[in-house]
Amino acid sequence: MVRNEVSISFKALSKVFVKGKKQIVALQDFSLDIKQGEIVCLLGPSGCGKTTVLRILAGLENPSSGDVLLVGKPIKKAGPDRGMVFQEFALFPWRTVRKNIEFGLEVKGVTPEKRSELSSRYIDLVGLKGFEDAHPKELSGGMKQRVGIARALANEPAVLLMDEPFGSLDAQTRNLMQKELLRIWAATGKTILFVTHSVDEAVFLADRIVVMTARPGMVREVIEVGLPRPRDRTSREFISVRGKVLTELDEEFEKARAKELSPD
Amino acid sequence: MSKTRGPLRKLKKLFSSRWLQIILGFTSIVAFVAVWAFVSWYLVESGSGNAPYVPGPRAVADAFFSSFTSVPILSDPEIGYYVTMWDLAESSLVRVMTGFFVGLLLAFPLGLLMGSLRIADDLGRPIVEMLRPIPPLAWVPMFLLIFGSFWGPAGIVFLGAFFPILLNVIFGVRSVDPTLVDAARTLGAKGHHIFVKVVMPATIPYLMTGVKIGLGVAWMCVVAAEYIGISGGAGLGYWINLSSIGHGLYSYTYAAMIMIGILSVLTTGLAGLLEQRFYKWSGMK
Repeated sequence: MVRNEVSISFKALSKVFVKGKKQIVALQDFSLDIKQGEIVCLLGPSGCGKTTVLRILAGLENPSSGDVLLVGKPIKKAGPDRGMVFQEFALFPWRTVRKNIEFGLEVKGVTPEKRSELSSRYIDLVGLKGFEDAHPKELSGGMKQRVGIARALANEPAVLLMDEPFGSLDAQTRNLMQKELLRIWAATGKTILFVTHSVDEAVFLADRIVVMTARPGMVREVIEVGLPRPRDRTSREFISVRGKVLTELDEEFEKARAKELSPD
Repeated sequence: MSKTRGPLRKLKKLFSSRWLQIILGFTSIVAFVAVWAFVSWYLVESGSGNAPYVPGPRAVADAFFSSFTSVPILSDPEIGYYVTMWDLAESSLVRVMTGFFVGLLLAFPLGLLMGSLRIADDLGRPIVEMLRPIPPLAWVPMFLLIFGSFWGPAGIVFLGAFFPILLNVIFGVRSVDPTLVDAARTLGAKGHHIFVKVVMPATIPYLMTGVKIGLGVAWMCVVAAEYIGISGGAGLGYWINLSSIGHGLYSYTYAAMIMIGILSVLTTGLAGLLEQRFYKWSGMK
């Protein structure tokens, strides 16, 4: 699946938020290369800037300094070559499942015939057949996120950016959706950058796990998971990788907590 | 156990059902009419000077129904000229609808503009904040003098409906979920796409709130505006004034008041129905 060409390249990315007189350094000198077809999970304590990395890549925010390259070309603004999946689903409540999925195609000016052909393909892919005409409020959380994924994929983006996409789902649905995502990934070969809080999720999904430091966010450690798929969460190897990630992360959690207790 | 449970449950079901709601609603109306009848009777019996001002339900009902064939004073049977409640209601209704729709047609786009463009808000806001605190009714004399018997009251209605719609739409635009806008942008939407495909549909529920408030205000406005002597295309407000202060036909005054209540409920109800249809069609609720 993973090819050797670089898909996404973060080069010394920094982001400073200005709140009144205070300057908050969210990201500092964040550098990372992601290969095509790779699944990379960003893991780190709250406020470490993982979502900021994703939003800069999506073009929803500008970096204070540094560059993001997508297949060698710098990113300036949001565009359909990077599909994003949101934790809160962000579906258009007045649109049906099909119409949600076709949103990007409409905007692009794709003809109605081609649109429905493409949306049907992705409805099938994510397992939403029979729900084409349902509205988001009629769907469960897991189903909503299937729509979110199909909507992002319908634009046929080079990369899929996922911001804690399963964070608001119950544990069972969450596990199921992780398997579904791997199935969809295998079928489409997309590069996936996945932000999560869950170590378990990261070890289950990722080719590589990027553990970030507490604010200001930097790359602390990149861990190769190196386990064959499908992965067994109860296997010794899985638990050992999980332990390694947890140790790294715990130190950062401690640092984040210490910082919270003694503010600058 | 089951023997007593069966009927008990039936009874419980009956009392929690829609029927109970209807029965209770009906009871409260009957009670209201009874109190009204009693007050009217008591005033007559006690020889109160206020007795003529509170005709009983029977007299008002008679006046109400007979008004649909003709109302006194305005009609002239000798030449076969009859003015009915329908005519009065129509005059008022046309004024209300005219003023209301002009208000809607201006307030919706203006609200979208002021809600989404900073410069439009900076330009419009001072004028809105200057004019809005002036009650629409304060404009009545000047509007009647300037715009006459049709556009005068319609203009007052316009003022009454315009501001609630405008403010609700502005609020609606500002309440659009920013993650929906983010989602649209990552799907390749440009500014105008976001406006048409995200901001506008997301604002419609707020528009409908404004419409319902605006319609209620519209009826208040038209009555007051007509009240100050408009004989050309006499409406309900004019008839309320003429029948009471002018001629002491108080039953007819109350009859006209009831008619206004009915019309206001009908138009607001229609807007509510439209709103529900929209929600059903759009799947938002």
